[in-house]
Amino acid sequence: MNNRVARVSMFVTPTNPRFIDKAWTRGGDVYILDIEDSIAPAEKQRCRTLIRESIQKANKGGASIYVRINKPFVDADLPYAVWPGVDRIMLPKTESPAEFKRVHEIITRLEKERGIVPGTIELYPMIESALGAVNIHAILTATPRKLRSMGGAGGYDMAMNLGIEMFADFDQYAFPVAYVALAAMSLGMEATGGVFVPNTSGRVDQGDQAAMQAAALHAAGVHHAGALHPNFIQPLVSGLSPTADEIAWAKKVIEAFDRLTDAGESIGQLDGKVVDKYENDMAKRTLDWAAACAAKDTYKARALARAQAAEKQPADGHATH
Amino acid sequence: MQISLDTQQPVGEQPMPKDIRRSVFSLSIEDTQLGEKAYASWADAIILDFVKKPNGDWQEDLKSRMPAAIHAAGKGGAEVFVRINRDTAAAELDATVFSGISGVVLKGVTGPEDITAAVQRLDALEVSRGLGTGFLEIDVEVNTAGAVWHSLEIARASERFGAFLVNEQELCRNLGIQTAPTLEFDPLEYIKSQLITVATAAGGQALGMSYPMGLTLANASDDVVKKAVKRARDTGFKGAVCAHASWIKFCNDGFRPTADEAAYYRKVIEVFAEGIKRGMASVPIDGKMIDVPVDLRAKLYLKWANRAQARDDEKTQAHQ
Repeated sequence: MNNRVARVSMFVTPTNPRFIDKAWTRGGDVYILDIEDSIAPAEKQRCRTLIRESIQKANKGGASIYVRINKPFVDADLPYAVWPGVDRIMLPKTESPAEFKRVHEIITRLEKERGIVPGTIELYPMIESALGAVNIHAILTATPRKLRSMGGAGGYDMAMNLGIEMFADFDQYAFPVAYVALAAMSLGMEATGGVFVPNTSGRVDQGDQAAMQAAALHAAGVHHAGALHPNFIQPLVSGLSPTADEIAWAKKVIEAFDRLTDAGESIGQLDGKVVDKYENDMAKRTLDWAAACAAKDTYKARALARAQAAEKQPADGHATH
Repeated sequence: MQISLDTQQPVGEQPMPKDIRRSVFSLSIEDTQLGEKAYASWADAIILDFVKKPNGDWQEDLKSRMPAAIHAAGKGGAEVFVRINRDTAAAELDATVFSGISGVVLKGVTGPEDITAAVQRLDALEVSRGLGTGFLEIDVEVNTAGAVWHSLEIARASERFGAFLVNEQELCRNLGIQTAPTLEFDPLEYIKSQLITVATAAGGQALGMSYPMGLTLANASDDVVKKAVKRARDTGFKGAVCAHASWIKFCNDGFRPTADEAAYYRKVIEVFAEGIKRGMASVPIDGKMIDVPVDLRAKLYLKWANRAQARDDEKTQAHQ
């Protein structure tokens, strides 16, 4: 499965059949099975027992599956969260390397017990406080466990910790978001930190807001966004994928740079724009990302078709071929 | 004692902000109307400045005058601080630290070693002058690139650390940024966000104003000041050093949750508690979903509002 492409992720609550049973039809790249804040205290144990079957439900459309656990209940949550098919465990409100390392050790033990190659499942520190933000480098280097991408350090909990409103017409998270992204990049991870887009309403169901967000992220070379509402998924998936024009331009740049190289030159022009090693590298990145997105979309389309066929089967009373 | 990397009290259980210092006002001990101005200001905190007497023993001169100045500055219920220059910190601390101050504001700091040196001096002075051990706070007036670059080590250098005070005029000069307020953006936006984040991470707070008010220091209409305070609060500042006495009221009113906000938080807490009893993870209020973090925030901000009100009550009592 192509887990590198995570253009859009959305939280789903395993305890709510309306959400979990339909998630696979929404087209998301990632679904995050939540045991944390969207689950009432009295429902947490029932939620834990639903995680394993929820993985199979939510990934029917080819999405990757993450699980968000509760920081105060890592010992209770992890035995229900570490299963084959889970790509990432998300530890909310991570603040120290010590607590991050402890979760890594529990996951490693569970991976061994359950026939998963140790280190397969990513562990993601959710940075939701000032303390977590300033400790980010120590947190990310606290364990040998791989982590492909890292971002965040804005959001509701960070706003609460800083004593500010979450929705403003200026970037109140300038430092923590950039600092976390920089730490990630310094360690060779892809930065998925948000790019500021004004949102003073806080509404989560506006497609145009999603398109604005996608355009800002895409322009900054960021390939991921979170969706709080299914209406955000498609605008973000398409907005964070390279367009046909971008792909065509990238191919032209690479061809032009090859010609320059053959001629023993290092810099030239194409349609009035500079072509050099930097532009050539950027074009290669565009094509690489386009190929990864196309592979993910193909994978999702096939998975979706299989799931739709399987859905149809019991209703018709016979298999469809 | 240094502050560790480990988790502090869970977010929501920490007092936020650490202390209620919405309005900080600077006055000189040379001012013959120091007491009257401090009393009339209604500032949460007063910073005392002094001039070293030329051609004489400036330390003895200050020692003879500081106790009365501290007493005068605190008459209106304000906490009293003394501004200390980093280059001559030890001598200035000897001359100015007396009963009645809450701490010192260190200016010109370039690294954690400046804090360590001040801590050593304060440790000794607290013993020799009968002040509570570890009682005096160290706040840092940020006016150099070094203070910004080393902000985390500075804030973690001592448990005495209380706050960063952003001196935008001097910081811009130090960084070579123009001080004329003609830019369409705040040139210190990232630095302010850094200082707010770092101070919060260390359990302290940051005090500052929004652009351009913090840079021009010009007086302005009430509406302009109110808006500037609102934006500063939305940035994460918990108070400001007031360039004009007229700013103090707006800082006292603005750097806290309003009465309307407090009423809303009470409603959130009540409705969410009912929802939890019914086994729900979220409940709607006026079209917005209330869940665990919203409830936690309501409790935290309501405490903040109550502490701000208590501070106002203390000052009112001091004025009676």
